[in-house]
Amino acid sequence: MLRILAIAAGVASFPGFSKWSFACGHLGSSIAQIKPAAYQPLFFTPAEYSTIERLADLIIPSDETPGASEAGVSEFIDLMVSRDVGLQSRFRSGLGWLDSHSKTSSGNTFLGLTPARQTRVLESLAYQKNFRTGEEPGREFFALVREYTVMGFYTSEIGLKELDYPGLKFYSESPACPHHDPEHRNLPLAKN
Amino acid sequence: MAIKTLCDGGLKVCALNSGRRLDPQKDFRNHRATWEMKYRGFGDPKTRMKDTPDFLDSEYNPGAWEHEVGFTTAPGTSWMWPRCSAVGGKTNFWGRSSARFGDIDFQCATLDQYDTDWPVTYEEIAPYYTRVEKMIGVASTVQNRRSNPDGVYLPPFNFRCFDWILQKGCEKVGVPYLPDRIAQLTVAHAGHPACHYCGDCTFGCEVGAFFSSPWFLLPSAESSGNLELRTNAIARSILIDGEGNASGVAYIDRDSRQEYEVYGRAVVVAASCIESARIMLNSQSRHWPNGIANSSGQLGRNLCDHLYADTASGYFPQLLGQPSFPDNVSANPIAWMPRWQNLNGPREEKFIRGYSIYPDGGCSEFPSYYDRIEGFGSAFKRDIRRRYPTPITLTVQAPTLPSQSNFVDIDPEAKDTFGIPMARIHFRWGGNELLMLQHAKQVSAEVFHSAGAVLESSADEPEMPGYSLHETGTCRMGNDPRKFVTNRFGQTHDVSNLYVCDASVFLNCTDKTTTLSILAFALRTSEYLLEQFRRGGQQATQ
Repeated sequence: MLRILAIAAGVASFPGFSKWSFACGHLGSSIAQIKPAAYQPLFFTPAEYSTIERLADLIIPSDETPGASEAGVSEFIDLMVSRDVGLQSRFRSGLGWLDSHSKTSSGNTFLGLTPARQTRVLESLAYQKNFRTGEEPGREFFALVREYTVMGFYTSEIGLKELDYPGLKFYSESPACPHHDPEHRNLPLAKN
Repeated sequence: MAIKTLCDGGLKVCALNSGRRLDPQKDFRNHRATWEMKYRGFGDPKTRMKDTPDFLDSEYNPGAWEHEVGFTTAPGTSWMWPRCSAVGGKTNFWGRSSARFGDIDFQCATLDQYDTDWPVTYEEIAPYYTRVEKMIGVASTVQNRRSNPDGVYLPPFNFRCFDWILQKGCEKVGVPYLPDRIAQLTVAHAGHPACHYCGDCTFGCEVGAFFSSPWFLLPSAESSGNLELRTNAIARSILIDGEGNASGVAYIDRDSRQEYEVYGRAVVVAASCIESARIMLNSQSRHWPNGIANSSGQLGRNLCDHLYADTASGYFPQLLGQPSFPDNVSANPIAWMPRWQNLNGPREEKFIRGYSIYPDGGCSEFPSYYDRIEGFGSAFKRDIRRRYPTPITLTVQAPTLPSQSNFVDIDPEAKDTFGIPMARIHFRWGGNELLMLQHAKQVSAEVFHSAGAVLESSADEPEMPGYSLHETGTCRMGNDPRKFVTNRFGQTHDVSNLYVCDASVFLNCTDKTTTLSILAFALRTSEYLLEQFRRGGQQATQ
């Protein structure tokens, strides 16, 4: 049987996720700080940044557990993109494609579309069965935003809690499989 | 190992290290979470090395990896060369797999007539392996396999869910699945604490619960009072006296860019395979126009490496949706599928010799399998969660054979930022290891099938050469001075006060990892040197 002795000091002393600000030592404990009034993007224009926020939220939404917006994913994306010229052009041209595509098909920028229409736009970029010719740049861009959203979300405290990440803890003995079924064919019913 | 053995033996040693000392409390990860890092552990996109696997040059260990001493590659060669310059080198961050070589390796040419045997037998080396294992602590089990002589072991790591499933699958295919030999302490050992299984290993262990030179070897050398360790000292060449013997080392201080010389009555080279060759090839005099101790012309030759490739990658549907479990306890595999090919005869397969496979999987820090799940939204998020305990990857470790085409020389034009002529690497995969890769992919697919795993991908091509960090050769040992650089004790044939104490002396890389054998051979070479000194009364420089 495993015994979790303690959580690593660095983790235990961490009061909880506050929306990720760039000074790593600066970690407020107040929930009120989770939504700073105005985040100043390092790279994106305000409109671009809002689109990134919306995309991240559609990719990993808040549902029964917190999603990309609570985890500050768009800030992470902005930081990473601000440090890489190659990424900057891919993001900027991709955002441009998304807006002109939205205007052509629905007469508005992506942000101006209804949530249902936004989802429909992404569905044709995300699922192979819905792929349409001529939308390759959009699919590439969507894959890129999805990649950085996943990177940002599952390295946040919220994201690792979502997975119940078992690492960075102290265990008194080498963790052993708790089942008596080598092939694991008859495990207790899985959660959804 | 050489520093410790020589200092403990009473010699005054001046050790040169090309990097700085690391402070475990500052330079290792120390349980910092991803979200406590500015770039979440991915590193600054602006400065991180694009050609280095990011698990090596990490935001958690800034400045530990070499960025200044360059190298070149011959046309047609790709080579990745991650080097830790800090004191202790790669042992600070290594994978810890520690299998002994056996007579099936040492007597390889007798078995299959390719290349040449090692000039040693297992019986001669076994006592050194035993002493090293007792010193560093290796967790494993007695396995009675022809290719894998058993050693002295601490209790093994426990199997995790996916280990049991894979073992069952392997059993049906006739492939062994066993605890690997791991230099990581499952119990407290020789004054070092037991592992606490946090999974940080690849970023350095702040309590020293796995073997590294700074935690296990240097303290004894330093307390002997015989060691002077000079850091940030980049060796340029070995100094040569009027008789053609080694008289010391010329080095450049990394910070001041000043050149210095240190003198000693013997020189030990242990800079890792390619660096050792570079230093020796750059050591020229009228006695040694092609590099010191190179009358054979073999210095730099016979560069070998492990071919790495993911032979099967996918997931176990039987674990979908199960609770998360601390699978990533060592940040590296704890089990292996040790060489099972060509054990009863050298040519049972289409290739000669053999390879091993390392399995890895389960709950890891980052859900890198996300790109195998289509879509977005709540369903995407749920699938990432459901698949968290399920991923599984098999990685082949296949040895290259020594070959005329694979070697290190000095680039006639290029110099690094310190003005030192750079090593130039010539390397390409050979047919034997590519046949192993094909074989390993086929077996891996069978294992996946019989274990009930879903196979999603397998590598079309190996990782870039150099990826394994297991290079060997360049100063091979052998009895014939016309064919080998050093004798069977790692002493160069041409220069009696010059010794080599790293994997450069290995005849080939075998299917096993190199560190344990480097330690065993270095211990033997160092004691041989001490014995020479007892007879002759000299002083050592490294």
